[in-house]
Amino acid sequence: MSMSSPVSLRRLAMLGLAAVTLGACNNKRVSRVDPGSVTDLSGRWNDVDSKLVANSLIEQTFGGQWSTQYASAHGGTPPTVVVGAFRNRTMEHVPIGTFVKDLERAYVNSGRVRLVASRDERTEVRDERADQQTNASAESRARIGKESGANYMLQGDVQAIEDAEGREKIVFYQVDAFLVDLESSQKVWIGQHKIKKYIDRRRIGW
Amino acid sequence: MNITVKSGLMLGAGLVLAACNGPRRIRERPIMNNGDRTPSQDRIVAGAAAEGYSDNATLTQARDSVYAKAVATCRGTICAAVVKGEISLGMTPVQAMAATRTAPAAWTLRESGAATVMVPRVLGNSPRDATGEVVMVQFDDERLNAVSYRETQGIRVVSSAADTTTDGRATAMADALIREGDQFNAAGDRARALDRYDRALALKRADPMLEYKVATMLDLQLRPIEAQIRYQRFLQSLEIEQIQARGQANAQLADAIARAQQRLIVLERQAPAPAPARTPPEPD
Repeated sequence: MSMSSPVSLRRLAMLGLAAVTLGACNNKRVSRVDPGSVTDLSGRWNDVDSKLVANSLIEQTFGGQWSTQYASAHGGTPPTVVVGAFRNRTMEHVPIGTFVKDLERAYVNSGRVRLVASRDERTEVRDERADQQTNASAESRARIGKESGANYMLQGDVQAIEDAEGREKIVFYQVDAFLVDLESSQKVWIGQHKIKKYIDRRRIGW
Repeated sequence: MNITVKSGLMLGAGLVLAACNGPRRIRERPIMNNGDRTPSQDRIVAGAAAEGYSDNATLTQARDSVYAKAVATCRGTICAAVVKGEISLGMTPVQAMAATRTAPAAWTLRESGAATVMVPRVLGNSPRDATGEVVMVQFDDERLNAVSYRETQGIRVVSSAADTTTDGRATAMADALIREGDQFNAAGDRARALDRYDRALALKRADPMLEYKVATMLDLQLRPIEAQIRYQRFLQSLEIEQIQARGQANAQLADAIARAQQRLIVLERQAPAPAPARTPPEPD
């Protein structure tokens, strides 16, 4: 029996094709892209939404009068803010921390607002301070009772409305953020950003 | 008409109707597509920082200038009050601003003759001194004669030296709590009235009438044992008051007697010696 028979050649070609196909399936491509680029894949909440919300809230918070009015009434001393609860009231996973941290960074870097650690962060700091009272030398020890009290608390939530028909879907996100005066419970600033997404899942398309 | 054509028309009409009944799709032009870029946050923050820095620098300079002026013109207790951050009677407007660590931008000044009134420019963002939130400062002839604080129980006015002490403050707060308690009592809310009287009693211990009010409230709430104790305390405090009053009256009396005796001695010494009694001339 000769190896160069037409059947054997066909089998060989089939095997080669199968190997190429399998190889193609296993192909992994990783590349770095600009974090500012818009990349929508599934239509769910993603980095672009987080960035848009952060940008909008930062612009709104500095556009408001609350920090200027406070500074003016207190001889130029900026107001102190603590980050409170920011709730995700949607059905999908929305990492709140990404845009809240962007907002915190903007507060601190602008110098117009002072920021104190949140409740969870404070617990760790207090543990460390308590440990220092026993183990650190007197001159390097952090003193107790010197924390700054906040004037305002940042709170907010994310809500979503979905509407779908066939292959088409609309998702609407509304992010609300507000600053509450800790003494009077008055809301001194309200920021809002809305995102509406149209998702069309075509069966065939290029 | 052919049956096939008829059924075709019916099907067409059905399709048209179904299409009308479906959702109306609105094609919006996308505002952002894959491959676009989101704006950088750094630019926004840098702009806010530059603006904030300039605003804060202006305000801080104004505050420091006020502070320097206040310290240059103060003396004794006023100087100490400015440094401690306490508004005190007799201060000038500049010293009051320095005591609250504020600049003129924080206040609105109204003048009428010798009287000046200083109120916060933005209500709800009132300046503070070491005591509390200041809502109005009144001056007479450039000297502070009254300052009003916003407190939990309402506005507290400090217009005399006695009001500035810790006891004065406690008394003012207790009076406000008693007023609130009376209002709740009049509205028929005895639990809240009792709560306010109890809190007032913590600030104003020696007040038999307050003790009586607490006893009455407990009595009305059908708490006889506690009411009995309070009534007894009321009577005891009355007795103590009587003893104190008697003691004070006796002390005042003793003081008056001593003063009168001293005065008599002084007067006796000052008065010219009485002329010797003239004896009638003897007949020759």
